[in-house]
Amino acid sequence: MTLAVNISTNDPFQILAPDGSVVGDLPQLSEAELVDILRGMLRVRCIDDRMLKLQRAGRIGFVGSAMGQEATMIGSAVALLPQDWLWSGLREGGAAIMRGLPLDEYVAQMFCNANDTAKGRQMCNHFQHKGSHYPSWSSVIGTQIPHGVGAAFAARQRGLDEVHVIFFGDGASSSNGFHSGLNFAGVWKAPCVFVLVHNGWAISVSSRNQTAANSYSAKGTAYGVEGREVDGNCALACYQALKEATDSARRGAGPQLVVLNTYRMGGHSSSDDPSKYRDEAEVDEWRDKDPIERMTRFLEARGSLAAGAVDELRDELFMELDTVIRTQEAAPRMSWRTLVEDVYADVPPHLRQQYNQFLITQEKYGEASPSDGAFPL
Amino acid sequence: MTIEFKLPDVGEGVADGEIVQWLVSAGDRVKEHQAVVEVMTDKATVEIPSPADGQISALLAEAGDVVPVGSVIFTLETEGGATVAEPALAAASASGGTAVASAPPAAPPAIKTTTGKVLAVPSARRVARDLGVDLDRVAGSGRHGVVRRADVEAFHSSGAAPASAAPTPAPIQGSGGETRTPFRGVRRKIAEAMVRSAFTAPHFTVIEEVDVTDLVALRGRAKALGAAEGVKVTYMPFIMKATALCLARFPMLNGTLDEETNELVNFHYSNLGIATDTPNGLLVPVIKAVEQKGVLALARELAELAERTRAGKVKPDELVGSTFSITNAGNIGGIMATPIINFPDIAILGVHRLMKKPGVVAGPDGDRIEVRQYMNFSISVDHRLADGADGARFLAYFRTLLEDPGLLSL
Repeated sequence: MTLAVNISTNDPFQILAPDGSVVGDLPQLSEAELVDILRGMLRVRCIDDRMLKLQRAGRIGFVGSAMGQEATMIGSAVALLPQDWLWSGLREGGAAIMRGLPLDEYVAQMFCNANDTAKGRQMCNHFQHKGSHYPSWSSVIGTQIPHGVGAAFAARQRGLDEVHVIFFGDGASSSNGFHSGLNFAGVWKAPCVFVLVHNGWAISVSSRNQTAANSYSAKGTAYGVEGREVDGNCALACYQALKEATDSARRGAGPQLVVLNTYRMGGHSSSDDPSKYRDEAEVDEWRDKDPIERMTRFLEARGSLAAGAVDELRDELFMELDTVIRTQEAAPRMSWRTLVEDVYADVPPHLRQQYNQFLITQEKYGEASPSDGAFPL
Repeated sequence: MTIEFKLPDVGEGVADGEIVQWLVSAGDRVKEHQAVVEVMTDKATVEIPSPADGQISALLAEAGDVVPVGSVIFTLETEGGATVAEPALAAASASGGTAVASAPPAAPPAIKTTTGKVLAVPSARRVARDLGVDLDRVAGSGRHGVVRRADVEAFHSSGAAPASAAPTPAPIQGSGGETRTPFRGVRRKIAEAMVRSAFTAPHFTVIEEVDVTDLVALRGRAKALGAAEGVKVTYMPFIMKATALCLARFPMLNGTLDEETNELVNFHYSNLGIATDTPNGLLVPVIKAVEQKGVLALARELAELAERTRAGKVKPDELVGSTFSITNAGNIGGIMATPIINFPDIAILGVHRLMKKPGVVAGPDGDRIEVRQYMNFSISVDHRLADGADGARFLAYFRTLLEDPGLLSL
């Protein structure tokens, strides 16, 4: 068994200590906004809890839980302006909800049903939302980095006031996309922010085995990109760091590499068993740094949240979620016709032929869906 | 309604899972999302939750059973019909609200072929058979009146009485019948070990004939000596001694591949796994540090270990840690075999039947024919880690030692 972290986090920027006490300057956020951050984090945790249970019962195919990392996505999401873009690594679905992705679209994507905006062409748990400038995830590590940099550069060329915030994990800092992306962004001073969510483990590869560098933020130095270490379990620090980084990118001062130090409490995904490669003691250590408990204690201490109100909030979120799950689970399947649609304006003869053959085969084996008619040949 | 809960694919591409333990009993009331059973797959051990509130009506697998993904492992009785059904079914039944293509009321009667057989697609025939529907009575909605699957289902659900409630035909059996035994336990472990070995290590086998006339004589004397001490001396301790001497000379056959570090490991000691036929199946207890032990000591240890192994009293740590193995089929029969390596060993020695044959013996007056005793030996080697010449050299030296067994004391 190996422990994940031996690289320095250089006294990460922190506003709330694990016990909820204030150790830095509080950001300019209203009471309602502060409670909203807690609600957003709590919603992510409720969703993860339910989705894993649905997956284990075979009701959805796959899920990657964000448990323990809620502050990274919610704190960051609140710092972005509506015109900004968020390029996801692989656990920022909660950020998209925070910025406008409707919960039923989120759940529809988990079921890959007829309401899934990806039309079942993505693996479940890989979201996209046009309305909140949230491009579809890629399972391929780091590809979103050069894409985001290019989009940021294009936005400036077109005179748009957009900042592109590009999320990725510690493993992606070893990918080609990271190096070319940071290099171009540094040279062009592209209006983007790199957010490295350092959660200790790239599936089963610990940070110890990921890099020989002293810190992840040091990796920006080679590209002239300033790095910053942040306590990723402090939602307010995540907010403030992203606020400053997006402001600076918006001013034309170029990108920053913001490292949000957190911990993946669960497996990499529903197909992973972390007990095979890591020590449970390490997980326990991080349990004490829980981002949601920290925010709860902070809000309770300053009187923004009544004692016990967090439990009511959780019940409310579960109820809202369960209603959506019931609806989406009963929704129709994605129509088979979509298999051959959307590539050509009109489905060409060879695809029609293949599709009709597919229907005949289905009919033969008893799986044909009655609502799908054949294409007229 | 009743939910038949099928074991889901909880990883990406998991084929089956072993029931570790049930967390509920038949008759228990459960809530949606409550853990029902712990299942171990190739990837992880996970708790499977209930898909709905209800009462468990039956548990259909036992702890220890390996069940394929998709088989029903428990049934759940839910209140009313409105709760969540099997996901796929729920999705299908709700799909689009488009009417099922049921047969129109005034459909023409089914068209028969000249042989009097109704025209129907194969899936319709299968469904008709399963539901006990007489295809003659179903109006076909397909082209030229061909009966489709939906026609059969609509006919069945319309409440039309099954014409001939034919029970599912019994499987065809020979006069002798058959016995079905659950494939698990030691047999399953052996199967897994054999598959791993055969499909990981490309095997080759070298076979050698050894004149053991002198060994037979030596063993006869040793047997008498051992009997005085209460030790049964077989050929095996001599073979083990010779093997240890050979392994010291050809260490490339005494090792393993450490796939984690990508290193070839060669051992400076010989722990010999001895394949043993037991009432429970094949087990391979290990005798350690054979190179340091004499023939009589080996004979004593072997007899004791073999007896405990057959009695099922061998300890788990005595079944692991071999550096090389020996399998002896000779006392049963067969003149040669191609043994499968006791993976992750690199090689295994096969010992075959002792037999008298006419042999050519070199004497001072030239060659002559004598009645000699012979044994065949085979060695199977992992060709990833050693080559044919290594196996052949091993057997050549092995032969030298056993044909002149005085050399074993060297």
